[in-house]
Amino acid sequence: MIRSIRFNSTQTGLKKTALHDLHVELGGNMVPFAGYSMPVVYKGQSHIESHKWTRSHAGLFDVSHMLQSTLQGKGAINLLHKVTPTDFQQRSPGVGTLSVLLNPEGGIVDDTLITKQSTHDFYIVTNAACAENDSQFLLSELQSVTEAKWTPIRNRSLLALQGPDAHRVLKPLLAWDQSLTDLYFGHRRTYKLFNGTYIDVARSGYTGEDGFEISIPNESASDFVRSLLDNQLAKPIGLAARDSLRLEAGLCLYGNELNESITPVEAALSWVISKNRRNITEGVKFNGYEKIMAQLNNKTHRDLRVGYKYQTKGPAARTGSKIFLPDGKTEVGHVTSGSASPSLDNLNIGQGRVLKPHNKRGSNLLVQVRNKLLPIELVKMPFIPSHYYKG
Amino acid sequence: MFSRALLRTVNPLRISIRAQSTNALSKTALPFTYSPSGPSAVKYTNQHEWLAAHSDGTAFLGITKYAADALGDATYVELPEKETQLEAGEAYGSVESVKSASEVYQPVSGEIMEANNNLESQPQLINTDPLGDGWIARIKIAEPDSLESQEGLLSLEQYERSLKEDE
Repeated sequence: MIRSIRFNSTQTGLKKTALHDLHVELGGNMVPFAGYSMPVVYKGQSHIESHKWTRSHAGLFDVSHMLQSTLQGKGAINLLHKVTPTDFQQRSPGVGTLSVLLNPEGGIVDDTLITKQSTHDFYIVTNAACAENDSQFLLSELQSVTEAKWTPIRNRSLLALQGPDAHRVLKPLLAWDQSLTDLYFGHRRTYKLFNGTYIDVARSGYTGEDGFEISIPNESASDFVRSLLDNQLAKPIGLAARDSLRLEAGLCLYGNELNESITPVEAALSWVISKNRRNITEGVKFNGYEKIMAQLNNKTHRDLRVGYKYQTKGPAARTGSKIFLPDGKTEVGHVTSGSASPSLDNLNIGQGRVLKPHNKRGSNLLVQVRNKLLPIELVKMPFIPSHYYKG
Repeated sequence: MFSRALLRTVNPLRISIRAQSTNALSKTALPFTYSPSGPSAVKYTNQHEWLAAHSDGTAFLGITKYAADALGDATYVELPEKETQLEAGEAYGSVESVKSASEVYQPVSGEIMEANNNLESQPQLINTDPLGDGWIARIKIAEPDSLESQEGLLSLEQYERSLKEDE
């Protein structure tokens, strides 16, 4: 039934995170991912158990494969305002946001989390699989900006601690005078651990749950992870559950929902285009400004990212499955991510791109899986309520 | 944010420790108890299917414990239609997990007599008892007498050995 049952995990040339040996010790099933050897599930917890544990307690993910970097200098804002449609001028220091890097045609080079550390100092997280491309893109864009320096961070690990118990797991490891109660969603700050180590903590993540993304020096990462996992509320969680959690949260996966030919408007991410970056008469315009503003103002785009739920049981539609009108003949889109939803009793859900005007919530369409057409309904995302800590 | 999906093209599947006996047929479930004295033969394929043949010329089909562990939680099982005629090697259904869908293939030629409808409401039987209550279909074997001489069918010992050699 399984033609090639196991992935070649002895593949050479894979990079390892600082936590690699600990993953193996914890029973991580290591697979190649974006050039790294990463855990997909851990022994003793199935994918669905891992998923549900994160939604009900706290899941710990090694996301050190993602690229952390800084952008510093007086020209930093000018660069950010050229390559993203998001405002960073009026943003308060210590506050971050999801955004997108735009190519000159307004297509998405990568999705990213950018935090303003101070007026001329920004912390950026981008995707591992896009690292080389992003690097070339940023270095080329930097040529037209003065006084801005982009520096990848190589000596720090990145962890995501996610779930309703995440704060209960992190808090006991902080120095006695450190508080998480005024660290709201999107905020990022340096904290001191009980043992004197400094960590940078952002209240963010990619699961729809409350939680933290923690940047820590590589040499301290392993001990810190052991301390977090000493807490019975926390378990290590692999990439399989990370993907199903983000899908339920209605979040995009670069390469599936996003690519260089899709604009933020088409990706249903218009909220990353800040109000004061629209209708610019003077000052820096972001890449693809004319096209993106025409889409915002005149609705010139042809299709949009949507979410759907199955109306019956059946095999899950996967990436590339075609979407049809109820006549079963008129193709109006395709699936970009799809799977059973562990939080919805394994009901099949997914995201896709659907032509206007068939993209409306409540539309009944059909999705093709092999030789079957299965009924779906377009629904609002996220598929389950988000639990961000907004105070 | 989260990076490009490689997972879906990957069968992320290395199972670390297995007991020798886990790929043996469950003695308490229908694929065994269908005949009072048990099946006349139990065979395996290197694609991780099993077949339990009975003296009336029919056989139960399913996937091995090794395959079920590798797939992870089954979320949906696509079952075959009754009376479908299938050649050895043809797909007769599929097993879906959250991440992937894998087709299941007929170890021998035959006609579908029945599918295990319990899997519609309890796909997890594939994980909890893949060699018993998680059987997928029962077929009428086209040539029941030539089972022993058919190519590609392994005994339990041969199958277990092939798993070891693959590691």
